[in-house]
Amino acid sequence: MGGGAGAAIALGGGFWKWSQFPPAEKSNVPGVERWIPTVCGQCTGGCGILVRVIDGWAVNIAGNPLHPVNRGTLCPKGIAGLQGLYDPDRIRSPLKRIGKRGEGRYQPITWEEALHLVSESLKDLRQKGEAHHLVVLGGRYRGLMRSLWDRFLNSFGSPNYIDNQFRWEEPPVEGLFLTQGIHDLPAYDIENAQYILSFGSGILESPWSPVQMLRGYGHFRRGRPGIRGRLVQIESRLSFTGIKADEWVPVQPGTEGILALGIAHMIIKEGLYHKEFISGQTFGFESWTGPDGREHLGFKEFVLSEYEPTVVSKRTGVPIDLLIRLAREFSSNQPSLAIGYRDRPFHQMAVAALNGLMGNIDVSGGVLIPRSIPYQSLPPLKEDAIAQRGNSQKRIDEGKGISVNHPYLFARNTLSGKPYKPKVLFLYYTNPLFSNPDPGLFSKALQEIPLVVSFSPYMDDSAQFSDLILPDHTPLERWQDDPVFLNNGFPVLGIRQPVIPPLYRTKATGDFLLALARSLGGQIQKAFPWNDFKEVMMVSLKGVFEAKRGDTFGLQFDEAWTRLLQRGGWSVPSYKNFEEFSKLLLEKGGWWDPVYDFGERDRVFRTPSRKFEFYSQGWKKARSSSSGEGKDSSFLPHWEESKESGNEKEYPFHLHVFRTMSLTGGRNANQPWLQAMAGQHLFEKWKTWVEINPVTAKRMSISDGDWVWVESPRGKVRVKARLYKGAMPDVVNIPFGQGHASGGRWSKGLGQNPYRLIGDDLDPITGYPTHGTTRVKVYKA
Amino acid sequence: MHKWGMVIDLDRCSGCQTCMAACHAENNIAIIGPEESAMGRTIHWIELLPYIEGEYPHIKARLLPRPCMHCEHPACIKVCPVGATYVNEEGLVGIVYSRCIGCRYCTTACPYTVRSFNWYEPRWPKEMKGSLNRDVSIRGKGVVEKCSFCHHRLLKARERAKAEKRELLSEDYIPACVQACPSNAMYFGDLNDPFSTVSILSRERRAFKLLEDLGTEPKVIYLSEGM
Repeated sequence: MGGGAGAAIALGGGFWKWSQFPPAEKSNVPGVERWIPTVCGQCTGGCGILVRVIDGWAVNIAGNPLHPVNRGTLCPKGIAGLQGLYDPDRIRSPLKRIGKRGEGRYQPITWEEALHLVSESLKDLRQKGEAHHLVVLGGRYRGLMRSLWDRFLNSFGSPNYIDNQFRWEEPPVEGLFLTQGIHDLPAYDIENAQYILSFGSGILESPWSPVQMLRGYGHFRRGRPGIRGRLVQIESRLSFTGIKADEWVPVQPGTEGILALGIAHMIIKEGLYHKEFISGQTFGFESWTGPDGREHLGFKEFVLSEYEPTVVSKRTGVPIDLLIRLAREFSSNQPSLAIGYRDRPFHQMAVAALNGLMGNIDVSGGVLIPRSIPYQSLPPLKEDAIAQRGNSQKRIDEGKGISVNHPYLFARNTLSGKPYKPKVLFLYYTNPLFSNPDPGLFSKALQEIPLVVSFSPYMDDSAQFSDLILPDHTPLERWQDDPVFLNNGFPVLGIRQPVIPPLYRTKATGDFLLALARSLGGQIQKAFPWNDFKEVMMVSLKGVFEAKRGDTFGLQFDEAWTRLLQRGGWSVPSYKNFEEFSKLLLEKGGWWDPVYDFGERDRVFRTPSRKFEFYSQGWKKARSSSSGEGKDSSFLPHWEESKESGNEKEYPFHLHVFRTMSLTGGRNANQPWLQAMAGQHLFEKWKTWVEINPVTAKRMSISDGDWVWVESPRGKVRVKARLYKGAMPDVVNIPFGQGHASGGRWSKGLGQNPYRLIGDDLDPITGYPTHGTTRVKVYKA
Repeated sequence: MHKWGMVIDLDRCSGCQTCMAACHAENNIAIIGPEESAMGRTIHWIELLPYIEGEYPHIKARLLPRPCMHCEHPACIKVCPVGATYVNEEGLVGIVYSRCIGCRYCTTACPYTVRSFNWYEPRWPKEMKGSLNRDVSIRGKGVVEKCSFCHHRLLKARERAKAEKRELLSEDYIPACVQACPSNAMYFGDLNDPFSTVSILSRERRAFKLLEDLGTEPKVIYLSEGM
């Protein structure tokens, strides 16, 4: 990049504008190889990888055989990690906007200038008593970076860290909170399950930790002599999971929840549930009387009266006999698991209730609650007067309810100015202008904010709207901790270390944050006494060393040995002191604790009743503080008919947006290996297509490969029509991941983003758009 | 003498396409852009093939990872006018790129359509050049290429065994796709050894080969889905 101050750089550029290979200069020559263990950063899976480094070039990525998440294997995204590192369109230095917002004209600046610019505007906020006008919008990442952000905002004086982890395919976190009182991801022990009933969950194409899930799947099918697990996929499209499942049950989009209630009805009616678990460890199954003498409706009575198979069958399109068979199969093949997606909270709860009915909570082959990593907590900090005033302000998204984070309300409130308008916005690991439904809302909101700072290493859609871009290192160039857990509930701590020095003038955001705190001085500076992020990590890791549990990664034999000793009350790790511990951590790739403690009720059930709740008292508590008592049924798993956008006459089709293994969240769209296999079931690549049922398409005179418009009340996209037998007659399917307005040569301007078609109906509890409520029409382009 | 073969358990396979990505990374397969891909010119040494039968709602779909079958009697060899492709004593079907004249008889003759033609000079942006795999040569424009069972890994393993003054073990050699497969659906080894995993699996009830009636005798064996 070489200086070039003053000159605007054009990012992107023509497709094949690069030099020829092989080059004249020395490059592809043999050298001494080293394999460096680190953690993959292509998605949130947390796989351990070994990177082969020759002459300062990372030339290959393989799975780390010692890392328990992936045991030497990988997924397509993990392999393409090299293309993420050597992405020719990476941002190479801090950039300052010189054109209009969204125009993409930037000027390279130095890190000193960048720090000065950010720190001056933050000082200004504090001087004016507007510290709470600083907002951090954070995406999907894990570990101490989050603690660091919280600490920074705390000492600065803003309550506004807004978690923007929008993903429908995510594990049903709200369902877990309603039934077990836990704000985290559950672990599904699929290796030991006999039967999996998946309610629209993308187990095989978009789980949060793909390799782990796929390893588990292999084991579930063929890993146990004489046992072959059975998988049934309930979904409104024949996905890869549906293809690999023993049975695909097509349902109307968004109706998985009511089907779960119908199955619960049959299990209860036929008395197939786990009676011992229900009587001993659950709350709200039978009708009950509260301390105030009021009668309350139980789950049993409610489901028996409301969700008759006829009602459910009519709404979902699933035949009654199939529904009855699913209920019997689910209850007779034990242990069984019902896995949903991040649907509306009470639909998630309906799916979770099935696991509760069968007592598959905290048992092998059921839903497990992993212990957290025993980090040493950072020392307490002192807030100065400005910080105290700022922290006591209302959050900008007025966060309440199950999740305190409401990115959509943040965007709407930014536009309306109530309760106030943010002045400075930090975007960390999130791209709301692309990966949230209704991205237009976020781009309008961003226009209202005077200073938007992005930390993205790539020119993504949101970075292009920022005033300052302070590029982070890519995952293979930085230090980071990665706390994660296994399907069987074992906590794992992976360590990400740089495999090569940074390629460009980028800076780890953690380091930048520490520098920023130093430049702000006073109590803020005192709260961050560390030199760099690695130091923060090492301080926190002391807690792991002192926990006297677990060991650094080892072979499967070591795992069994550690477990045996630990059960007997011994801890004999392979290290003696902290120096040895940290050295082994880097050599092996991390630490884990290969023991799951069953029966710790306080850890597994954190509800007010300390039981599995069919009647969510936790939600009742959270709700009644704001809107008083509600009906009993509003605390039981129940079906909520969503408001549809678009009427049936004008918009005859439901729109189903799905994800593929290779492009999952669109973060990796500029990696050609992944682009080249985006839709392998139809041999589609490099573009966006819409899947239409062949009979429907014939009726509309649309042929395979025609270009069509898909239009919703919100907007329209031009995509390629593909006839797919796995599409339901009244549902059209569009993959997510393409249609970047900005980005590199391999992603910019390719395909369309279906999220532009949706996003009307926000769920009142989560504040996220609801799934499967958008209607569209399709016509030839 | 080893006889290298592969077993793919379709019941374990999840259709994730890791094999495809691993192969691209390992073998320096050229990047084919969107316009060129639209003309069907992408190169995949191993590809996930879909097979969808029936009509909605009674559909049975299958996904099948397909590498080169490394046939005992390969159709591709017989049609090559210049002797550029061959099967060696270990059962690997190889190509001498410098001999290939690009006539593409072999791509047509192969009943499994595993062979791809290089329509373009392979190009990488200069930022990426150094990250290519240094163990595999780059193919030029106008030659045919296909899966080699990561033959370079065999050569490397053999060198290492020699340096360590021991016999080559079949565990020393494993192709990139098999190594990366997350659901452990792929197995690789010596079919001449009756006790190797691949031999044992190839005798299983679920075992089948693709287009067996052609008499090509593939050395890639599939295990069918279901019980």
